[in-house]
Amino acid sequence: MAGKEATVYILDLGAPMGKKRHGRDHTDLEWALEYVWDKITTTVATGRKTALMSVIGCRTDKSDLNGVMEEAEGYENITVFSELKQYLLSDIRRLQNKLKPSKTNEGDLISALAVAVQLMDSATQNKAGKPLKYDRRIIIVTDGRGEMDDGDLDDIAMKIKDTEAPIEIVLLGVDFDDPDYGYKEEDKDAAKANNEEVLKGFVEKCNGNFGTLAEAVEQLNIPRLKQPRPIPSFKGELTLGDPQKFDAALTIHVERYPCTMLAKPPTASSFVVRTDLGTSGLSDRSSATIVGEDHPMSDLAAVRHQRDYQIDDPEEPGTKKNVELEELEKGYEYGRTAVHIAESNLNVVKLETEPSLRIVGFAREEEFKRYLPMSRTNYIVPQRTNQMAQLGLSSFIHALHEGGLYAVARLVTKENKPPIMVLLSPRIEPDFECLIDVELPFEEDMRRYKFPPLDRKLTVSGKVITEHKDLPNADLTAAMGAYVDAMDLSTFSKDEDGNPDEYAKPEDTYAPLVHRINHIIRWRATHSDPTLTIPDPPEILMKYSNPPSDLVERANSILESLKVASDVKKVPPKVKGRGKRNRSEREKPISGLDIDALLGNPTQVKIDPANLVPSFKQALAVTDDLAAIQSAADAMAKEIRNLVKNSVGESAYGRALEAVRVMRDELTELEEPEMYNNFVREFKKELLEDALNGDRREMWWRVRGSKYGLIDQKRSLVSDVTEKEADDFYKT
Amino acid sequence: MADAHDRRWGEEEEEEEELDETSYKSIKDAVLFAIDVSPTMLERPPASEDKKADRDSPTSAALKCAYQLMQQRIISNPTDMMGILLFGTEKTDLKDGDSTFQNCYLLSDLDVPSAQDVKRLRDLVEDEEEAEKLLKPNKDGASIATVLFCANQIFTTKAPNFSSRRLFLVTDNDYPVKAKQDKDAAVTRARDLYDLDCTIDLFPISRRDHSFDRTRFYDDLVYPTSPSDPDAPVAIPSTTKVTKSGEGISLLRQLLSSINSKAAARRALFSLPLELGPGLKIGVKGYLLLKRQVHAKSCYVWVGGEKTQIVQQSTSHMADDTARVVEKTELRKAYEFGGDAITFLPDEVTRIRQCFGDPVIRIIGFKPISSVPIWANTNKATFIYPSEADFIGSTRVFSALQQKLIKSQKMGLVWFIARRNASPTLCALLPSEEKTDEDGEQQMPPGLWLIPLPYADDIRLFPEQPDAPLKTTDALTDKMRIIMEQLQLPGGVYDPSKYPNPDLQWFYRILQAMALDEDIPDTPVDKTVPRFKQIDKRCGEYIEDYGRAFEETYVQLSRGSLAVRGKPAAKRRTAEPEDGEKPAAKRVKAEPKAKNEDGNNDGLTDQQMAVSNDKGQISKQTVAVLKAYLSQRGQATAGKKADLIERVQEYLQSKGM
Repeated sequence: MAGKEATVYILDLGAPMGKKRHGRDHTDLEWALEYVWDKITTTVATGRKTALMSVIGCRTDKSDLNGVMEEAEGYENITVFSELKQYLLSDIRRLQNKLKPSKTNEGDLISALAVAVQLMDSATQNKAGKPLKYDRRIIIVTDGRGEMDDGDLDDIAMKIKDTEAPIEIVLLGVDFDDPDYGYKEEDKDAAKANNEEVLKGFVEKCNGNFGTLAEAVEQLNIPRLKQPRPIPSFKGELTLGDPQKFDAALTIHVERYPCTMLAKPPTASSFVVRTDLGTSGLSDRSSATIVGEDHPMSDLAAVRHQRDYQIDDPEEPGTKKNVELEELEKGYEYGRTAVHIAESNLNVVKLETEPSLRIVGFAREEEFKRYLPMSRTNYIVPQRTNQMAQLGLSSFIHALHEGGLYAVARLVTKENKPPIMVLLSPRIEPDFECLIDVELPFEEDMRRYKFPPLDRKLTVSGKVITEHKDLPNADLTAAMGAYVDAMDLSTFSKDEDGNPDEYAKPEDTYAPLVHRINHIIRWRATHSDPTLTIPDPPEILMKYSNPPSDLVERANSILESLKVASDVKKVPPKVKGRGKRNRSEREKPISGLDIDALLGNPTQVKIDPANLVPSFKQALAVTDDLAAIQSAADAMAKEIRNLVKNSVGESAYGRALEAVRVMRDELTELEEPEMYNNFVREFKKELLEDALNGDRREMWWRVRGSKYGLIDQKRSLVSDVTEKEADDFYKT
Repeated sequence: MADAHDRRWGEEEEEEEELDETSYKSIKDAVLFAIDVSPTMLERPPASEDKKADRDSPTSAALKCAYQLMQQRIISNPTDMMGILLFGTEKTDLKDGDSTFQNCYLLSDLDVPSAQDVKRLRDLVEDEEEAEKLLKPNKDGASIATVLFCANQIFTTKAPNFSSRRLFLVTDNDYPVKAKQDKDAAVTRARDLYDLDCTIDLFPISRRDHSFDRTRFYDDLVYPTSPSDPDAPVAIPSTTKVTKSGEGISLLRQLLSSINSKAAARRALFSLPLELGPGLKIGVKGYLLLKRQVHAKSCYVWVGGEKTQIVQQSTSHMADDTARVVEKTELRKAYEFGGDAITFLPDEVTRIRQCFGDPVIRIIGFKPISSVPIWANTNKATFIYPSEADFIGSTRVFSALQQKLIKSQKMGLVWFIARRNASPTLCALLPSEEKTDEDGEQQMPPGLWLIPLPYADDIRLFPEQPDAPLKTTDALTDKMRIIMEQLQLPGGVYDPSKYPNPDLQWFYRILQAMALDEDIPDTPVDKTVPRFKQIDKRCGEYIEDYGRAFEETYVQLSRGSLAVRGKPAAKRRTAEPEDGEKPAAKRVKAEPKAKNEDGNNDGLTDQQMAVSNDKGQISKQTVAVLKAYLSQRGQATAGKKADLIERVQEYLQSKGM
């Protein structure tokens, strides 16, 4: 979609640009640069080799035309910072140091413009001097406080409008008057007013854009949308009936294009900080040359992923053995059985299909459950320039629409691709009509979990109750009704003509994360200082994170009555924790039987290795005594060690791990983190020092991998272990 | 080096979002079937003429269910475990030489099922002799306490640290003990299981002369909530329905249906506050009720030994410059930018991603349901249901909201952050009403659904279309509508349960055959293929009718639009001949195709073509029309438009027209 483009920025660097005006806390130049950098970094981020840029400074201390003009005379105090080329991060960094306010007021903006036109000309023509196809643009940012010789302006305007190589002109002025935007600078300097007048006339003559900087900077926050070219994912026939076997069948040639497709934020790749700086040894083996091209960074090295392949060693049960990729064959898992399928035979498991879009039947629109669709959507349109298809599909679309129907079809997009069921719904807009397809679930895609009803309660005996604390009473129902109606968004916004319009339509919302990451990458490109704080996201990305404040204010009293009717109480954190010390709160079976009473309310339960977890939990449940808890914990710890000690290979690690988890959870709940922490410190040492009958490091990796380390203050308020300490525990 | 072990991350992790590790336990599920083998359980229903009547004894129905569930779980939960324990058998065998657990017979050990397990079970289900040998009841049955402790041991050793361990108990005996101390022992053992976070799911079967009474015994054994998910909504008591043996709908079908509803362990995807307005929050949990099931990817196997083995892969990271092995913690993320890399420190990454606030479902306002057209769909929806764990009163407020939305046909617009680091999404919050089938079984749960909406960035351009495409006429639309009305799905509803995924089913059928060294079937069952015969029968007539109307309309309209489209036609001429060579193009001509009985079909009739020719308008016919006309008359369709016209004229002449 995007063709070649060339953009020249003319930036006024005159001494007055270094001033802060009108109560702004940054200089005019800093303000202007906000705009310029945003534009430049946006282009750099695309990584396009065909997007050329150049920056020309006007009213600079020195003059350097970089060979653009044959004669330097008349072009004093103008600096061409680079030829037209693709900009890279290094160019940005280099340029940053140079874009500083000068100490001079000398330098003619019109001359700089002439240089820019010349530069543009020579860089966008072929060897024979013929202009190539380019989108040419010159963007001027100035405060209009310099001296200008407007004698050549008409010639330049002619050149800019040249139909062979037209140039788009954008001029942004610092505090320029702009009635459209509604800005007028008070007490304007007469010379500046004159310059504004001249420049405005000139830009108008070139059919360019003339605006005030404030507006441009403001608009930077509106995210720009990428519009990828539509690529069809299917071209074929929509059929009703089987045209090969039956006489009566319909066939319409259609094409399918994406309608929605989630925009993804740029992805980061993994690197590792170089450690070999300056050291030799391996350095001649380093692949710096390969990596160097892609990532000419001094402190980061690319990461390679090494795959290892292991099998259970048939000779030594319980151990693993490495195998080479060359020895391996392809296959599938059926349960835990490995099924070997020779490479040549891999197709045997594939269902043979041919590309097709076949109507299975029709469903009623009002019966359709809107939550069933499982995918993004696609447009289905008639084959281009096929009038029969146009007529056929149009009748299909309108018949669906008028009949209040959706079609259900079986779609195979390519040969031997698995079939999917799609819903075809009609979409008729003022300027186009089409079918929209979206994927439907198969039987296997539905998880049939059951949930109790929300409008009534069933008792164990099967009685239906309609008044219950879990059911809304009349007050709550009424308050909710009023609130939902009060918070209506369908007419909250205004359209261009000021008529009520729906608030937050999809086309008015921007993907927050996509633009946030793009924005921050661009920000970092011009703010390399690591001590700077990452800025917050622009407001426009946060707009829909909360209900509109006007609406909230309006509905405030209704919300208050809803709160009263709801009577929602936050569960205090304590209840979640300690409860179990109280025997009466132990969970009871459905019948409510008190099992402890049945067993004669024991005050002591012995830890039983054959029933480890339950006996531990029961031992803790029957006592409040610290010593008894400690002894249960000790007994548990002993059994955990025994499990590890007696484990053949890794066979008992799972059980040991479970015991560790239960011990950790229970002692956290009893607010005795110390007991667990003492154990796990000791346990770690034993595992790493082979004190539990051989090399048990694998067990430590599992404890670590499951995060069953120290209980820190975040988990238990009474712990004396800090989060950092708990973190370090895993590392060393 | 290789990190973590058999930890399987939540399926929601497919997005590249970085997750807070601590929030994920290993979420595997282990199901142990315990099936009662007693004289009454083995009793077959009396012979009956009715085809739908039962043929299975309760034990054999239970085994069939287990067999079906096993096959199903290999597809849907390939890493979850399953085992089958028979109790009350004469034989005692736990496959480990130990005979502590008298009259317990471990048919298949608790593990990820193997092809052999499937075969064993199938043999038992299909081969009566085989079944009879094994299914011999002990005359005193088995002690239920023993069975429960046996299950305890199996879960402890075979499925340690699983987040979900469930005992499926199938029995028709509602009082399986004789003395009080036996009952006390059973009650204690049941509590052990509860403390071990194992759930007992009871599948009771009523006998013809005795209906199963849970209160006699089992209500002392079964706990109201699942220990691993204490605030999960309490299952409806009626789910564990008393299945009546030998009457009405078959025992097998009833049992299958109640077991199916528990086939997958219910796992909450997230637990979040739902903010109705500033200062009003309730607690909800999210569940994935829709999830595209795909078959396993191919893997590497090692065939060097006696037994084919699955190869385990592990990945380690190496610095490309020094080949030094690096730990995950050393990795830094960098973005490509302008031929270089832009990096951020880990806490900066956190600031970047978490700037949108904490995970929440926040209502922004309400709109009519019509504001969520089908095209505004980007992904599957998530089901939410209230939870009292964090906010007391959540359920009633949620219920009030759900009922209001249903009543007013409205949806909520919500700002949704599923978890830390997740991308914020705008979603439609849509109510769903409870739906039950004719047996009273829940088909769709009541609750709310979060439907992710597209942002402007996610909406693609409509593809370029020709300037003035042909549009339908009311008459033609009506003809099409008749066809559509005729072909409505039962009840006008798409019912997913009628459409098993043909690709998935075929894949596992073949794989199973290969795993068991059996003959490979050659015809797949594919219920997604339209029923062409029925279509022909139900509306063949209407389709032909439409075909005729189409021809007429087309001739009229295309004539009218000829002036507009001089150029496109010329372009197409170059493309068409290629088309003509492919056999598929034969159908081009038949666009909307409808043959009349007499074989004189769509496209223009000889008469119409002759008229057109006489008026000197034949050159205004499109290439497609000409080709269609020719090919239906057995004439060649190759060549440029001029050639086609010439051929048409020759043909007409030969007919004397």
